[in-house]
Amino acid sequence: MNLPATGRSLGLLVCLQCHATVRALQVPHPRCPRCRAHLFQRKRHSLALTAALLLCAAILYVPANLLPVMYTITIFDEERDTIMSGVLVLLHSGSWPIAVLVFIASIVVPLLKIVSLSVVLFSAWRRSPRYRTQRSELFRMVEFIGRWSMLDVYAISLLVALVQIRSLAFVAVGWGALAFAAVVVLTQFAARTFDERLLWEAPP
Amino acid sequence: MPVIVCPSCDLAHRTAVERASERTRCARCLASLQRPENGSVDAAIALSIAALVLFLLSNAYPLVAISSNGSTRSATLIGAALGFYRQDHGGLAALVFVTTVVGPFLQIASLLYLLIPLRRKQRAPGQNTVFRLLALVRPWTFIEVFMLGAVVALVRVAAYARVLPGVALWSCALLMLTLAALTSRTSPGQFWRWVEDSQA
Repeated sequence: MNLPATGRSLGLLVCLQCHATVRALQVPHPRCPRCRAHLFQRKRHSLALTAALLLCAAILYVPANLLPVMYTITIFDEERDTIMSGVLVLLHSGSWPIAVLVFIASIVVPLLKIVSLSVVLFSAWRRSPRYRTQRSELFRMVEFIGRWSMLDVYAISLLVALVQIRSLAFVAVGWGALAFAAVVVLTQFAARTFDERLLWEAPP
Repeated sequence: MPVIVCPSCDLAHRTAVERASERTRCARCLASLQRPENGSVDAAIALSIAALVLFLLSNAYPLVAISSNGSTRSATLIGAALGFYRQDHGGLAALVFVTTVVGPFLQIASLLYLLIPLRRKQRAPGQNTVFRLLALVRPWTFIEVFMLGAVVALVRVAAYARVLPGVALWSCALLMLTLAALTSRTSPGQFWRWVEDSQA
């Protein structure tokens, strides 16, 4: 089989920090001659770390969606809001474009991220030769849109800071918000620990 | 002929020109490989100073105020993180504080620290460490997401109270645009190109 020339086959390393291509040195801890960042052929324990972070995120996704993210306490009643009921409140108040936006950022994106990263991780582990370019692009897209899931955390933070008119209305944070933020942070880390180059490894 | 290796899939490419005049992509995984890195240091410094002024304004003035039945309450950028802290959610407070205050500040401050000496063909002490710090905080600066979150919060509050936008809301929106422009003009490739040129 005619394998393409890769950095590994030519004895070259690429610095992930400054993207310089460097001749691999036979020293214990090589560093980039340009920016002094650590150089490595592949990120260490990439598959195991990504799998562990992803599993934690998938488990926390359940309380993130079931537990209330905030409580609105007024003199008349107490309202509990989950992520989904927050979307419905926006929908009923007539601002459907914002409701759609929050639905995509808070419900679709985290789920899409967990599923896509799992697919990419599993196929990298199997060294599947199919659809490599598409998987590579999927991974980069997920990495790019992931940050937008923080939307609801920021919205809650402002509501908590603003609506503190004692005896009239009061917004309290729910544990769902912490679980939700943890899902976002864990998936961001999962994407960072994954080494994209593992998608292009020759099949066993 | 120089060889460059794709950081996304490890494919080696032979290239005729080390300094590409247009954007090139990896032949195999389509990741961006080279960009025409010919921006000016002065423009980047100017944008950093603009960002610093906008950052200070965003933190000095309230983002928004609400008034209901004669009582008014305002919130600042730091106040958003403090709200979580006061309700014993230190983790959430830290996350909001780092991504909206510490992240943007470190990004602006480290760029100014690195670029001003470069303009005079000098290197800042500890340049490589500061550059790595910059690369570390960059993916954790979520000011544009915060802005959209603020819009969502205001739409929800507007049903119950009158919403009065503050100075910081506008400066924050401008900061978001300035930071986006700054980030695209100071890519790692561009930065190291400036460093190499300053040594020549």
